[in-house]
Order: sequence, then C-alpha cells, then structure tokens
Amino acid sequence: MQNATLTRRGALAAAAALVLPVYAPAQQLPNDGLAPAPQPGPRVGAPIAYLSIGTDGRARLLSPTTECGQGTHTAHAMIFAEELGLPLEHFTVEVGQPGPEFRRPPLNEMNSGGSFGVRFWYGPFRRVAAQAREMLIAAAAQRLGVPAGELTAADGRVTHAASGRSLGFGELVEAAMALPVPENPPLKPESQHRLLRTPAPRLDIPAKTRGAAIYGSDITLPGMVYAVTRLSPVFRAELDSFDRASIAHIPGILDVVPLPHGVAVVATNTWAAMRGAQEIRLRFKPTPHDTLDSATFSARMREALDRPGHVNRNDGDVEAALRSAARVVEAVYEVPYLAHACMETDNCTARINPDGSAELWLPTQHQDFCQAAVARVLGIPRERVRVHTTLAGGGFGRRYGWGAAEHAAAVAKAVNRPVRLIWTREDDLGQGYYRPAQVARMRAGLDAQGRVIAFHFKAAGPGSGTDLRPYLIRNDFDPTAVQSVADTRYRFGAFRTEYVRVDGPPIPWIWRSVGSSQCGYFIECFLDEVAEAAGKDPLTLRQELLAHDQRALRVLNTAAEQGGWGRPLPAGRHRGIAYVESYGSLVAEVAEVSVTDGMPRVHKVTVAIDCGEYVNPDTIRAQSEGGVVMGLSAALFEGITMKNGRAEETNFGAYRLMRMAEAPVVETHIIRSGETMGGVGEPPLPPAAPAMVNAIYAATGKRIRSLPISRADLR
Amino acid sequence: MIEVTINGQQRRIDADPDMPLLWVLRDILGLTGTKYGCGAAQCGACTVHVDGAAARSCQVRLGELAGRRVTTIEGLHPEGRHPLQLAWIAHQVPQCGYCQSGQIMAAAALLAAKPNPTDADIDAALEGNLCRCGTYQRIRAAIHAAARAQS
Repeated sequence: MQNATLTRRGALAAAAALVLPVYAPAQQLPNDGLAPAPQPGPRVGAPIAYLSIGTDGRARLLSPTTECGQGTHTAHAMIFAEELGLPLEHFTVEVGQPGPEFRRPPLNEMNSGGSFGVRFWYGPFRRVAAQAREMLIAAAAQRLGVPAGELTAADGRVTHAASGRSLGFGELVEAAMALPVPENPPLKPESQHRLLRTPAPRLDIPAKTRGAAIYGSDITLPGMVYAVTRLSPVFRAELDSFDRASIAHIPGILDVVPLPHGVAVVATNTWAAMRGAQEIRLRFKPTPHDTLDSATFSARMREALDRPGHVNRNDGDVEAALRSAARVVEAVYEVPYLAHACMETDNCTARINPDGSAELWLPTQHQDFCQAAVARVLGIPRERVRVHTTLAGGGFGRRYGWGAAEHAAAVAKAVNRPVRLIWTREDDLGQGYYRPAQVARMRAGLDAQGRVIAFHFKAAGPGSGTDLRPYLIRNDFDPTAVQSVADTRYRFGAFRTEYVRVDGPPIPWIWRSVGSSQCGYFIECFLDEVAEAAGKDPLTLRQELLAHDQRALRVLNTAAEQGGWGRPLPAGRHRGIAYVESYGSLVAEVAEVSVTDGMPRVHKVTVAIDCGEYVNPDTIRAQSEGGVVMGLSAALFEGITMKNGRAEETNFGAYRLMRMAEAPVVETHIIRSGETMGGVGEPPLPPAAPAMVNAIYAATGKRIRSLPISRADLR
Repeated sequence: MIEVTINGQQRRIDADPDMPLLWVLRDILGLTGTKYGCGAAQCGACTVHVDGAAARSCQVRLGELAGRRVTTIEGLHPEGRHPLQLAWIAHQVPQCGYCQSGQIMAAAALLAAKPNPTDADIDAALEGNLCRCGTYQRIRAAIHAAARAQS
C-alpha cells in the first residue's frame, strides 16, 4: 500500500549489515519457530544479519518478511543461491528480529505487505550475496595461493579450474570473515544465471504436506496454558463487566483475564478455554452504533457522494468537459466490507521471562507493530520484546494487526505462565479488520466520435488506513480509496479523482490488493458501460485509452489473444475483460462465464501479467491462481453485513468462500518485459472480479453495480 | 480413560470424553498437523480419518472413539511419502499450507474408496475443504496425478 520505491538508502543499509558469522553445525537449530537466538561460534564484525554460512557449508538466511504462502522465503533463498553459487537445498530461511536492517523505507517498518517481499529485497540481497561470494573467493585465493580472478564459486565450492583444486564454502567461512567486505562486488551476469527465473520448488512445501510445518497456533512452550478470547459482538464496544462464576462449572478453567473489548478465558486445554469463552456472561458498554445496520450505512456512504471530497488528481476542467460532451455516462457502484478469513485465526503465544522481558511467537505480518503494542501493554521498552515469527496460515494484510499479541501478553502477565492464545473463528470474522465498504460515482464524457474526453471518479466510504496508521491521514484523504484509478495509465482527457471520508463502526483494514480490490471493479466495470455507450468493443475502448503505452497494450492484448477474445465460444459461454495495474505490476484478465438459472459459473480465467523482472515464475502462476480465486470468491459470495452494530457473518456457513467445484481453470501468461520488478502477491486479484462481472453482463444483459453477486438477481 | 488407536499406536487418553478429537490431538498428543479453522465442520482444516473415513475432528468427541482407529496427517505414511504427499510436492500445491493437512486427508479417503476419481468425485469429496489461498486447481491436478501413480 505504500508507494516505496527502491532507494539507494535501502540498498546501503543492507550492505552495511553484511557479515558471515560462523556457527558450528551442531548448533544449527530447526526452523520450528522455537529456536532461540543462534549461538554462533567464533565470529568477527557486525551483528548477524541476513546471511550466515556454517562450517558445514549450509546457509541460514534471516528474512525480513513473513512466509504467508507467497513463496517469498524461497525467492529470497534463490537470490542468495544464485549469486553465491550455493545450491538452493542448502538454505534454511527464518525471519529476523525487528531491527533496522529488516525495515523498509519510506515508513521504516518491518512488515510483509505491499507485495514488496521480493521486489524490494532483490537488489540488496544480490549485493550482499555477491559480497559474501567475493569474500569466500578471496579466502580461497589466499589458501590456494592463486589469483582470485582464476577462481569461480559454484555448487558450494570455490574452484581453481586450472589446477582442479577446490575448497568448500564451509572450509572457507572463518578465513572469509576476517577479510574486508568489498564495496562494489560484481553481480553475476544474466547469461550465467541457472536458478533465477526458473520454477524452483519451494523450500517450505514438503513440511506442509506432512503436517510438520509450524504455524503460530502450533507453538508449544513448557508449562504453557491455553487461552481463547470472547470479544464484543458490537464493533469496538468496551467490556463493562464479566461473570467469572458463570463458567466455574467447566473443568480445566484456570482464569478469566479482562481485555479492553472482551475477555480471555484461560484453561488447561484449548477446548475448556473455548467452552468457557462461549458460555461466559459478559456485559459491554453501549456504543453510538448499537442499532446501525448495513442499509443505513450504505445510504450514509451514498449521501456522502453529494458532498465535496478531497481531490487528489485534477487534470483539465472535468465539469466543463462533461458539459461539452456529446454523451455522459454515469453510474454508482458499491462494495461491502470483506473479511480476510485467513484459515488460521489470529493467535499469539507469549512468555514473560523472569527478567521481565517478553517473547512472542506469532504469524505476524508486522513485527514492529506487534513489538510496540506488547511493549505498551507490559510497560517495558520495545527492545525487551522479542518477536519470533512463525509461518502464517494466510495473511492477506490481516496480520498487520496486533490484537492477539496484545491479548497474549496481557494473559501471560496476568497468569504468570506462558500462554498460547487463539481467537475463535467467530472473533476472527466478527471483530472488523475488514476491507472497507465503499461506493463510487463515476461520470464519463464522450465526444461525438465516441472518444472519452472526461472522467470523474468519486469514492466515498471508510479508508483502509484510518485505524492502521491514522498519523498518515491528511485532509481526511486515504489514497487507497482511489488506488489504481488516480495513478492509472488510461488517458481520459480531463480527469478528476476525489474521495469523501465516511467512517464506519468496524475497524477498516488492508486486504489483499487494498484499494485496488474495489477500485479495479469500479472502473473496469464502468468502462464496459462507457464502451457500450460509445458503441465499442470493451477491448477496443481499452486499447484506445492505452494507445500511448506499449507496455500496457502488450499486457492487454496478450490476455485478449490468449483468452480468445472475439473468437467463438460454446453456446452459453461469454467473456469479459479487465485490466488493472497495482503494486508495480500490470495485469489483464479474460474470464469465461456461463449463467444458468441465475447462477454464474466461471470456467476459465486467462491472466496476462507483466511484473517486470522476476525470480520464480511458478510463484507468479501460483499467485495468479490464488489471486483470481480470492477476487472471484469475494465478488460472488463475500460481504460482511451489519445488524445492530455487529457482523451477521461469523463463521464459514454465512461467510461463504469459493469452493473446489466453483474454482475456474486459471491460465497464466508471464510477459518478461525486463522492467523494474513488481509485486505478484496482490496484482492478479483486482482484474478477476470485473472480468467476471463484465462476462456476466455479456451473458445476461445485467449490470452488477453492487457486490456480492449472490445478492443480485440474475434470472 | 479411553483407548484409541492413533496412527497405529494404542493410546490411553485421560481427558473429558466431550473433548473434540481435534483438541485431543493438538493439546494432549502434540499432533499439531491437524488444524483448527472454524470449530463447526464448516472448513475442513481439521479433517482426519476415523476407521478409514474422512471425519471433521472438531465434531468427533473423544468418548465416541473407544476402540476405533484414527489416522492424522502425521500417520498417513510413515515417511510422509504417500502418493498424494508426493504429488502435492510435485505440483507445488500448498501456499500458506494451513488447510493442506485436511485437503490431503480428504483426498486420501477419496482415493482409498475410488482409486481413479473423476473431477466430479473430487468436487464432491473436497467440497467441505476450504482453501483461502485458492490452490484448488493444483489440488485437483495433484489428486489425478496421485491416482495415476497408484494405478
């Protein structure tokens, strides 16, 4: 969501932290999330960061990002493996402790968001790896008494081809540590790459097929107790009182710990804690929204469209252009609140040490926010909170939150025991942290030839960042409310983007692709309405709007060609197309849809993606498949509705996700433009919904201007 | 005290007979490969086998299990090399991986009953197993590949 660009500062910060600490293989610890700080053997220089190579020749990476399933850890290992000349299988990847070397500008936060995991760290990591390689080569040159220029590093060895002699990396690390770090090591030329841009198997997958991968909710500490939360059903309501006696009859209950918005029930096992959480009698303080429902809130957002908002892009005179237009197309679109519904609910395992310091084990996407929140709860300095990041059972932005971390710390302190605290599914779906609901009014002016001469995009609703980073909101403007629109490559002539802030009761949050998830739907479906008004094919209109941009055209045309745009289809099948750029990547998709008895079915989605340079093409395919499913799932089925200030959907029966039988075939076409690396975790999502909705229009003649589709009548 | 066979081992478990198998596995036996997702049989993340059939362990109470056989993801194959597990790796199925124990156990029960399942068989058998990462396409391909490998 931030528009951080690769900065020189980031790269230098990374380089400054390079070391090759030596550790004895016997001390190498499994990547189980329980590993204490490594105990390196003899070492020289700066503290550990990113890379250590053991005397056994294996490498341990400390990654700045959490593995939420997007394959970033494998990509990080691939970058190092390629540049170092060490096989990928020799790498173990863990997440570092919060610290300056793991923070990313411009906000200087250690987080896993904005699809930055690979694209930001690619350059710094290549350089660090090249530095390590040059140091290993220099150490070998000394040992072998030959010029460094005659040596090559590959397969974990430095080899002198002329004499046939070679030394393993493990034999060289101690000597390498004593050498100066080269400032500008040569990077391996692309012609010598063997691993980058190949579909390398992911390092984390084998354990995930055996039930051996350790997530936050799997952490087990000696002497640990179990806690389950029960939080206010009304959004943001504060706890008034609780009746401990109401669950005294449940065997295994140890304690009840009050929290700002509910309680944590502590027990000898999760089941007892869960029963206690379900049965305990609680009272909450009233809120101003105790009777609010979705229809009222929707009306509030729509009314806001008539108020002036913050204008953040204003090219030419939109109103004058609209007045002069031969035809004006206008429509209002709406999307609901969405839950991330990560399969692993929010959780944290916490321990307060005898010295008062704290340790957390959790699947966070934001180590800094968790560390700071827990330090506040415990009244200790941030440095005294260690954050052990586990694998995450889904993230999608949800795990920028620090709720469970605060709760676990409060419980660990209150009961003076280590605790594993989990949120129930009901709390996970019902506590907010939603992609905001939003409405958008769009007006497009066409001239007599059907060219777009004016476009006004005005959104209203909650912003995604008002609770996450309130200190960044200026003039009530949240840039994610116009994301992928204000910065579009389309040329509309006069162009204005505008946003009216309307706060709602649930905590709004960032959700995979953030503002692009709704804005992509708004603009891409509206453009199909504009195309129809102009008497043009939807592809033709987009080609005209992108005529000046060869890179975007190539993406659009690739999706059209590969998706069979304009070619015959079996009876009853129809296509829709959409193009959305987000997080540095350009994506166009063609959806193939049929509608039977009012039920849409997506048969196939063809994805064309230009994410610039890339590391692992199979990751791009996997993220395209997953992003398409999540985008379609949201558009077809998902939406949190409010009644009496609370969520009506609190488990998967009501909050319906796409299932196996409903998932389309996704075919991904990667365009290697060689441009600056973009993200892949988020960009494939936004075009999926509008491509499908546009296909549904082709099939039924019905414009769906409000999601989810399951609430529309398509018969 | 309830006697259950878990992953081929006879276990005597002293716990509340109302405790769902899910929490017996995770909290008492330390078998954390079986996951909590919803507690209401609405997601499939906790799928195990009871006497060879797929079951949602959040809905099976310990008291119902006396003398029965439970298999979890940890016990599906002694070396983790069940044809489905190999196919899951070959097809690079998991993303976050949290639902995959349940997906694999549901698929294993399907293959045991129908060695060559059709797409419709797969749809039906895995209907209750949600994957938020959207790996469905690869799950389907991996099941077909495992079926071929078995035959």
